[in-house]
Amino acid sequence: MSIGGTTSGISQPAVADNLPARQGRPRGRRSFGTSKIMLILVMLYLLVPLGAALWFGLQDPTSFPRIFSDPDFSQTFFTSLELATASTILAVVLVTPTAYWVQLRIPQARPLMDVLTLIPFAMPAIILAVGLVQEFNGAASPFINYLSLGLVPVLNNLNIVNTPPLLVCAYVIISLPFVYRPIDNNLRAINTSVLTEAAYSLGSGWWRTFLTVILPNIMPGVISAALLTFSVVMGEFTIAQLFSIYTFPIFLNNVGQNDPHRAALLSILSFIITLVCVLGIVLFARMRGGSESTAEIGAAK
Amino acid sequence: MPFLELENLTKQFGHNTAVDQVNLSVEQGEFVTLLGPSGCGKTTILRMVAGFEVPTEGNILLDEEDITNRSASKRPMGMVFQSYALFPHMTAEQNIAFGMHIQHKPKSVIKQRCAELLELVGLSDKGHSYPHQLSGGQQQRIALARALAIEPKVLLLDEPLSALDAKVRVSLRNEIRRIQQQLKMTAIYVTHDQEEALAISDRIAVMAKGRIEQLDHPEEIYSNPRTIFSASFVGSSNQFQCALLSAAEGICQAEKSTLHVLPQSKFKDGERVLVLVRPEEMSIEPATEDGQGNAADRENRIPGTIELRTFLGPFTRFHVRVNESMLLTADIPSQQARGFFAAQNVILAFPPEACQVLPLEGGQEELEKVSAAETV
Repeated sequence: MSIGGTTSGISQPAVADNLPARQGRPRGRRSFGTSKIMLILVMLYLLVPLGAALWFGLQDPTSFPRIFSDPDFSQTFFTSLELATASTILAVVLVTPTAYWVQLRIPQARPLMDVLTLIPFAMPAIILAVGLVQEFNGAASPFINYLSLGLVPVLNNLNIVNTPPLLVCAYVIISLPFVYRPIDNNLRAINTSVLTEAAYSLGSGWWRTFLTVILPNIMPGVISAALLTFSVVMGEFTIAQLFSIYTFPIFLNNVGQNDPHRAALLSILSFIITLVCVLGIVLFARMRGGSESTAEIGAAK
Repeated sequence: MPFLELENLTKQFGHNTAVDQVNLSVEQGEFVTLLGPSGCGKTTILRMVAGFEVPTEGNILLDEEDITNRSASKRPMGMVFQSYALFPHMTAEQNIAFGMHIQHKPKSVIKQRCAELLELVGLSDKGHSYPHQLSGGQQQRIALARALAIEPKVLLLDEPLSALDAKVRVSLRNEIRRIQQQLKMTAIYVTHDQEEALAISDRIAVMAKGRIEQLDHPEEIYSNPRTIFSASFVGSSNQFQCALLSAAEGICQAEKSTLHVLPQSKFKDGERVLVLVRPEEMSIEPATEDGQGNAADRENRIPGTIELRTFLGPFTRFHVRVNESMLLTADIPSQQARGFFAAQNVILAFPPEACQVLPLEGGQEELEKVSAAETV
């Protein structure tokens, strides 16, 4: 090798080191600026209506204390909370093992499941509500009786129309897309069938495998399913209205009819309450994950 | 009475027969490898033994007990997977303990046994690590320990080394063999890697198209293959399609040359045969004036031109062009390969004993099987 070659060999890395840095810094700064502006714009878009509502609500100084003195407030709030909790638990308990079972035993049925779980998206809530009320108030058509394998007439005897249990069932249906999707995605992301086989070969049965091996690994999907269901039910209006069940969104609407200041404050409040609930679940999930990762760090030491 | 016995085991997926009437007997403490190209049914056999697939026909007997229809979780089998399949949310120790918890072993026993097994696979200090903190080789060691923890009667290994890099593959392969011999564990091992199979097994079952082609000790499989498929799949070989001129004298007529082989008692004169010669049986010498050299003895001598010379460390591989349709491979110890270079005219020589003679009747199908395996 010639001397010239050697010197260029030495000098080149120095140049190469400098160049990307020189070019990189301004470019980085510029892109950082754009993203910052975008962030501010999005935050403004989200926060300005909320701020305006808050400002408007506080125009009438008496509205704030009146909210809490209204017995309907706490009553409807707890009704909605109970409905949301019940729907979330029922949806997750029903869908998680089903999604696992479909993934494991009949993966060819997955497209069908995808379509089935998307139907509630395509169908307006009002149709679901009217249909449920009509079929469960004793006027069910024979066709529906057969289609439900005789379940509708049996349930009709229990007189469940316009009761919270039926409302919870309706909520489970409308939240199906939010529940099935994240859980199914999570099941696909982990190596479900091989993990299951590994557990089987170690002597574990189906339920044990599901609860101790699969469930802990799809927790993120289950938690996001629960979050989405919870917030959907907390804000649901149409079906509750048709079922004549006095939930928090209906209370909100009633107040809004005659006292706009109070309605504005209430909507802010409902936003904050939902946010707190969601953050609570996220924090709970983080804490569980966190304790695991600290255990990992401890183990690594 | 063999320890594990497969009787007429058949598995069909739709119209596709993955495993076709397989019979296999495995003795207690024996290490049997199912070797074959992908799609030959070896993994399906293992999965049927493990209980993940139900055979279409046939029986699986373990210790004289029919376990064909027993569920996977009730079979005393330990399984090691290609993708490790460790439970990601559990530490190495918890993974190993999983099966023992199901067996309701007392806690102190579990703890002690975990430590023993970690020691056995050489990872005593990694008990509290999570799978994602371990390398591939370490994860597979833990998976092995986990499978052994339930004290299985048979250890099943499904291409356990395929996902690892070359060095780890060799060391872990030796480790698996050491542990298997130490515990006198009956093991069935599935692989498509012939070198792995030859190194690790007591017996190898060479498989093609859902059938066992040959079941024998590694040495026999390599030096005395029974079928064209097992000869071509295990190790590389030079092939000559010949007509047998004289079975008693061992003379074959290849396309353009006459080959001397050992006297053949199994064949009749005029039969079509395939003569196989391993590359390492070939020797190489410079071409002489008359192109034949001392052709007096019975040694086979084939002239040709070196087309490619590949240095492979201990030996050097020569691709020698004989004519348009024939390219021979010779592996020569690198010491002796010094004087030979590409484009040089040489003579390849091999003694009659180096030739394996296999029947070619119905051979077209055989050859198709071979080429199918090569394209995979």
